[in-house]
Amino acid sequence: MENSTARALATTVGRRSFLKMAAVASVFGATSGFASGNVTRAATDAEVKNPFPGSKKVKTICTSCSVGCGVIAEVQNGVWVRQEVAQDHPISLGGHCCKGADMIDMVKSEVRLKYPMVKENGQWKRLSWDDALNRIATKLAELKKNDGADSVQFLGSAKMSNEQAYYFRKFAAFFGTNNTDHQARI
Amino acid sequence: MDYARMKFYCDEARCIECDGCSIACAEAHELPVGISRRKVVTIHEGIPGKEFSTSIACMHCTDAPCEQVCPVDCFYIREDGIVLHDKDKCIGCGYCLYACPFGAPQFPRDGAFGAKGAMDKCTMCAGGPLETNSKHERELYGQNRIAEGSVPVCAAMCSTKALLVGDAESISNIYRARVSARGKGVNSPYGWDKAYKS
Amino acid sequence: MTNSLGDIQKSKAIIIFGSNPAVNHPVGFQHFLKAKERNNAQIIVIDPRFTKTAAKADIYAQIRPGTDIPFMYGMLNIIFKNGWEDKEYTDARVFGMDKIREEAAKWTPEVVADVTGVPAEKLIQITNIYAKNRPGTLIWAMGLTQHTIGTSNTRMAPILQLALGNMGKAGGGTNILRGHDNVQGATDMGCLSDSLPGYYGLAEGSWKYFAKQWGVDYEYLVAQFKDASWMTKTGFSLARWWAGVQNVKTDEKIENAGTFLKALIVMGNGITSVAQQAKIKEGLDNLDLLVLADPFVNEAAILTDKKDNVFILPAATQFETSGYVVATNRSAQWRYKVVEPLYESKPDQEIMFELAKRLGFYEQYTKGMLMVETPEGKLAMKDKKAFTWPEDATDEIARIIKTIGLTGWTAERIKKHTDNWHMFDEVTGAGMGPMKGEFYGLPWPCWTKTHGGSPNLYDTSIPVSQGGMGFRNNFGLEKDGVNLLAEKGSFPKGSKIETGHAEVTKANIEAVLGITLTEAEKAAMGANWKVDNSNLIVQKCMEAGVCPYGNAKARAIVWNFPDHIPMHREPLHSPRTDLVAKYPAYADKANHFRVMTKYISVQSAKDYAKEFPINMVTGRLVTMNGAGIENRASKYIAALTPEMFCNIHPDLAHTHGIKNGAMMWVHSPEGTKIKVKAKYSLSVLPDMVFMPFHFAGYFQGTDRTGNFPAGTKPYASGESVNTVTNYGYDIITQIPETKGGLCRIEKA
Repeated sequence: MENSTARALATTVGRRSFLKMAAVASVFGATSGFASGNVTRAATDAEVKNPFPGSKKVKTICTSCSVGCGVIAEVQNGVWVRQEVAQDHPISLGGHCCKGADMIDMVKSEVRLKYPMVKENGQWKRLSWDDALNRIATKLAELKKNDGADSVQFLGSAKMSNEQAYYFRKFAAFFGTNNTDHQARI
Repeated sequence: MDYARMKFYCDEARCIECDGCSIACAEAHELPVGISRRKVVTIHEGIPGKEFSTSIACMHCTDAPCEQVCPVDCFYIREDGIVLHDKDKCIGCGYCLYACPFGAPQFPRDGAFGAKGAMDKCTMCAGGPLETNSKHERELYGQNRIAEGSVPVCAAMCSTKALLVGDAESISNIYRARVSARGKGVNSPYGWDKAYKS
Repeated sequence: MTNSLGDIQKSKAIIIFGSNPAVNHPVGFQHFLKAKERNNAQIIVIDPRFTKTAAKADIYAQIRPGTDIPFMYGMLNIIFKNGWEDKEYTDARVFGMDKIREEAAKWTPEVVADVTGVPAEKLIQITNIYAKNRPGTLIWAMGLTQHTIGTSNTRMAPILQLALGNMGKAGGGTNILRGHDNVQGATDMGCLSDSLPGYYGLAEGSWKYFAKQWGVDYEYLVAQFKDASWMTKTGFSLARWWAGVQNVKTDEKIENAGTFLKALIVMGNGITSVAQQAKIKEGLDNLDLLVLADPFVNEAAILTDKKDNVFILPAATQFETSGYVVATNRSAQWRYKVVEPLYESKPDQEIMFELAKRLGFYEQYTKGMLMVETPEGKLAMKDKKAFTWPEDATDEIARIIKTIGLTGWTAERIKKHTDNWHMFDEVTGAGMGPMKGEFYGLPWPCWTKTHGGSPNLYDTSIPVSQGGMGFRNNFGLEKDGVNLLAEKGSFPKGSKIETGHAEVTKANIEAVLGITLTEAEKAAMGANWKVDNSNLIVQKCMEAGVCPYGNAKARAIVWNFPDHIPMHREPLHSPRTDLVAKYPAYADKANHFRVMTKYISVQSAKDYAKEFPINMVTGRLVTMNGAGIENRASKYIAALTPEMFCNIHPDLAHTHGIKNGAMMWVHSPEGTKIKVKAKYSLSVLPDMVFMPFHFAGYFQGTDRTGNFPAGTKPYASGESVNTVTNYGYDIITQIPETKGGLCRIEKA
């Protein structure tokens, strides 16, 4: 078994502080790696620095709780390929709980609702956006005309952006009712 | 030449079992569900004064017992102490699991008779013996963040900075600073003695 | 939140009521832990359950649910007895502390021990630690608010802080940890049935202000409503809309413009985690139209037996659109778009715009985005034909919402902050380099387009231009002959006025600030700072170092609420029937958010504790938020908490023959029940159970997950605990009483 140690791949890591603590951004030599040994070849600088060539990093904010942790999304060819660490965010300092660490799954989860559907006779049916919106709007207009706008209840969300939340409230106002609310009651 | 010696350290005074580390790991390496390279456990739950939580994965031990018992020699240890293995050599016998004091080695369990495939474990985000940052390496071992110059994802995303990774001296310094700031007794973190014999 | 998460690092004591940040705000909790290391801060946790936060506390008190007011009066009793209050502070800045002192005198440690279950010695110890380690911060969350007396609870906590002089101090304050990512922002935006955006209320004057700012005639808006009177009436709330649906069995009278509710439009709201699930199901079943827009299937679609006209629309996630969100400390961050909407999903605003087009009000609805204020105090159209989403909406909000000081929140500035998030200090939020002079996210009030935000509310130790301010003048100048303004000598640093003053209006500005306006300024200026399109009032105030909203006393007495000072009232379903007569619930309330809501008639109906002897507490798990669908749609997270469970003390379980891991029934006084897996835990007392509220898909023992359209079922499903949470709603806000209720259990 001593062979395996002998086969250990040499690294060029010196005694520099790899991480003062996890809160410190990476200071590990970017060109370390696998320069020798018969099972590897040296990685090119581009490969070593970025396994997703041509990707860009987008700063955004976790959608879970109100702490407002920074999220860095790595996007390649329009696809969110990896969630990176927002080490220099002033509130989260790179930290995430399990929900935040998994933000990428909000987008890539396989069980997302993929197209509009309507239940008819107890069965789900796919329909186009146009059909769905026309049918909903027709019904809303009919209710407003016959029963008044207060026959409709709107429930918005604390998970919307401010612009959306504002426009949600504004929608109810233009529709003609104060029957509109969201999660926060105190 | 003086080499860094990479270690993990989980500060029990800070760990809150949020599972940020374990999910960050699973998501970053796109692990199959059921493979837990990193786990968070709470001991003495619900008992005031005794409850604590800690995050456990392969500790990349000094004189790693897994490496010593492996019948096919699939382990190799980098000079910075990171313990890696070659999945193409591993026969899934499970000896390493018996030897490991932390229960780190994971085995796929989806076969009809629970047949074990190649072992999987924490790589400290250093990939495996395949071409660095190749698709093949990523599929078998997950991201190679070390080669990118990035921090292993579990510690980087730890919500309270309980989980630290780095060279032994830096880790010790942080640990000492925190303990003295808290003004409370010094206890070795869970697993530290076993893993690093220090 | 008056301060910020980073600011907690400056606290010397942290007292936490009904909040579990280690689980609900894990990343925020790192600042609490750092306070321990920086200042040896003492963490005190008051909670019915030994939480993960309690595990990190220096001292923990296990309190009976719903008795926080007695506990805090007990603290005040000890504080006043020992003279630990900050008398200079309360004399100068607080109205009505004498009444609090009178009430506190009744709550001796022994009385408190009887009501709360916390031993007298522990109360004394906690008070001692908290009073002697200042500044102290007081934290709360839903454990304090979700009670029939929730509003009183949220008044009591600031009163405790005021008595100790902890308000308006770095390291102090009342720091409410908000739940969802933008619950602060969505509330600010008036996604509420009792207000227009920015807390402008529903009065006619507010509607006229908004009509003008939106570029439409007031009469046009009136015409959309049944009549003008319904514009000023509070609508149904999230908690009780179902009572307005026809055929829902209830004896509670509704007042809804002469109609039942027939359609429900839901965007991003997990209504399967709201109390009274059985009634919610009845409401859903009886609607004509149900529309649910969400990135995942809203489980209301699974819960209902409604067979037709249920639409589920794929809303894009927040990563597939952009805009800003407001964190718990009132600071804004720009959430950049990561990718284009996947599949056929559409961002929420597009769904709203498309419906507005079809309903014929799109042009009027979106016109505000193309309007600007002029220095002459007029409104003009921007020099462009089409708006840009979201930036033009961001700027529309900044233009209109002056009440909480959003004037400085332009799209350009918020983006600059997010782009430069590395240039801000972790503890103070203060900017460096190009961001010098500004605080991260420009915490509101951010008075002008150059103001740097206000990190700690009510802090008089810094100038208004740097975020300082006194308390708001919102309720007149005096009450019963007592001055409601701050006393002489209490004012924000550098203020031209060295005493209390009224909020600044066009009528009083010259007198208050001691200035003379030019004719042009007079012509441009709006009636008061909240409706002043010229922003001249705020500008003049900034020049004088004066806060536009005045400098007043904080009110310990709220004469327009049913309880003028916070009073203890037992939960509607109290385990202490013997205390109900002494601390009874409110009288029933007619037309409370359009529906009669019961208090005393439910509480006095029977001795619930006989049949339902177990306290039921609900809360969050670290793995999920809200109704949980987003997280249960993640295969990794679902694997951590794959099924619904009930934490039960082994001693209690044993008396019912329930084994660890076995199924058990939980019954509510309303006659509903859920079947859940027992999970032994020492974190609960033997007279209580704890259940998380993130599950749905099962209802009263039946699996309804077959109702999911193919390919949309999440990786974990279970009973919603809100099927068995008890009836009960706050007297002011109507938040459900889910943090104090009773149940009965049995082996399944």
